Amino acid sequence: MTPSRKWKRSVALIAFVFPALLFYAVFTLAPAIGGAWYSLTDWNGLNPTYSMVGFSNYAEAFTQDPSFVKSIWFTLKYVVFIVVLQNVISLTVAVLVESRGRGKAWFRTIFFMPNMISMIIGGFMWMFIFTKVLPTIAAKTGLLFLDQSWIGDPKYSFFSILVLSLWGGVGYMMVIYIAALQNVPQALKEAAAIDGASSFQAFRNVTLPLIYPAITIGLFMTLNSSFKVFEAVFALTGGGPGRATQVIAMNIYEEAFSFSNRFGYASAKAMILFAIVFVITIVQLVVMKRRELEA
Amino acid sequence: MKLRSALITFILLLCAVFTLFPILMGLLNSLKTEGDMMNDILSIPAKLEFGNYADAYHKIRFMNSLGNTVTVAAVGLFGIIACASLAGYKLSRTPGKLSAFLFGLFVMSMLIPFHSIMISLTIIADRLQVQGSTTGLGLIYIGLGVPFAIFLYHGFVKTIPRELDEAAVIDGCGEVRLFASVIFPLLLPITATVAILNLLWMWNDFLLPLLMITHIDDYTLLLSTNMLFGQYGNNDWSAILASLVLAMLPVILFYLILQKYILNGIAEGAVKG
Repeated sequence: MTPSRKWKRSVALIAFVFPALLFYAVFTLAPAIGGAWYSLTDWNGLNPTYSMVGFSNYAEAFTQDPSFVKSIWFTLKYVVFIVVLQNVISLTVAVLVESRGRGKAWFRTIFFMPNMISMIIGGFMWMFIFTKVLPTIAAKTGLLFLDQSWIGDPKYSFFSILVLSLWGGVGYMMVIYIAALQNVPQALKEAAAIDGASSFQAFRNVTLPLIYPAITIGLFMTLNSSFKVFEAVFALTGGGPGRATQVIAMNIYEEAFSFSNRFGYASAKAMILFAIVFVITIVQLVVMKRRELEA
Repeated sequence: MKLRSALITFILLLCAVFTLFPILMGLLNSLKTEGDMMNDILSIPAKLEFGNYADAYHKIRFMNSLGNTVTVAAVGLFGIIACASLAGYKLSRTPGKLSAFLFGLFVMSMLIPFHSIMISLTIIADRLQVQGSTTGLGLIYIGLGVPFAIFLYHGFVKTIPRELDEAAVIDGCGEVRLFASVIFPLLLPITATVAILNLLWMWNDFLLPLLMITHIDDYTLLLSTNMLFGQYGNNDWSAILASLVLAMLPVILFYLILQKYILNGIAEGAVKG
């Protein structure tokens, strides 16, 4: 290709990409770079001047900020429970729904419905269930274990947050798993049945390996979204009582916007969240790719 | 065999009850007076009480909040589709280092959590004076939403034969007209997916509006509902529940009408993503 044609092609490329690039650069790229920069400063968001403090914000976050470290552990605990439960339940529900003839569409419609509703609205509705409805049921039926301080006591509110998140998240994964299950050729399952495999064996040895890519996607998505959990906790407990159920995203939010306005310090925490998500995502993609190749 | 099938149906019914339970409880109790609700939370309302709805409709300024939410979503959606279809198409069609670099630049950002950029984003939005307006919020959504949309368009364009472009060019069609009248109509299936995924995201997103919208006149449905909840807390559940039902009404209707496309869009987006 002649240089002038190549040049023309590049100009056309830039012209088509420019609008997207403009918005992206201003509202995603610039704040990302800005955040990395501010994380090395002591800026408070208001003063026109600030000074570089190197990595001391990062050091402070890990060594002198017990509430931040605690929010990391709390988030990790949440992530482990959600990644396991959400994928296991979604896959199970997907398999069960797929096994139904009539009624399949109805179940799918119902199970997906919570995903249409914002976690804020869902959270307020569950708040009503936890604080008003469950105590009433407990009083009426004598199922006293239902009458707990579901929101106020961190021992139970972790469970409440899980219930809300699963309620809001299972349907989404289910749709993805159903799509994957529908791509498994019927003939293979029939062949396994003829060979005398029980339906569990057929699932374990025929279906599961074939939907492995979907499981990769499912793990990837739940891992990613559960690290960034904010709304579910905001709506139910607001991170409380005290900071007992505070997650990382909320800790960053409060540091920057409600308690201290320490933008530089909060930016360092935000970078730590980014690093965690980044490392986990990369590790997981590499591991999954390798296993997929072996399978 | 029959027993097992009945058991599976039973389990699924239990799950369905669990899923619908909070929505149903909210709906039932929003139709009771506060007194009736306190008497018996679990019963079906003896007499339908619509007063809560009139009350909630007023308090969350339903039409105003709905209008604001629609404005945000419309600006964002139009911008995302316009910008991302142009960019995704051209990036997919152009070979070479520059194209690969730009595509990588967009895709890379899909790893960045929103909470990692939100602090600097508020500063930038403030400087550019897009903070505190619904249109401005929509513009920010464009910047946040284009990477994934470009990714989807980029993949889909590969399925459209290149010969089409070439034939159109031979017929004397310019670049812009080629895109607008030949390519874009062919992108319709993926445009539907992009539209649905982004609409759901923008409609249900809470944190960005919370950071960007300052004046009560610009509140979205979620911000209004959140404010009402903050004001009345645990004291006036029947009005709050009515406001929650009102706030979720538009999405539920949207879902029931376009269900097939939404479920397809979700599966599409995930498989490609």
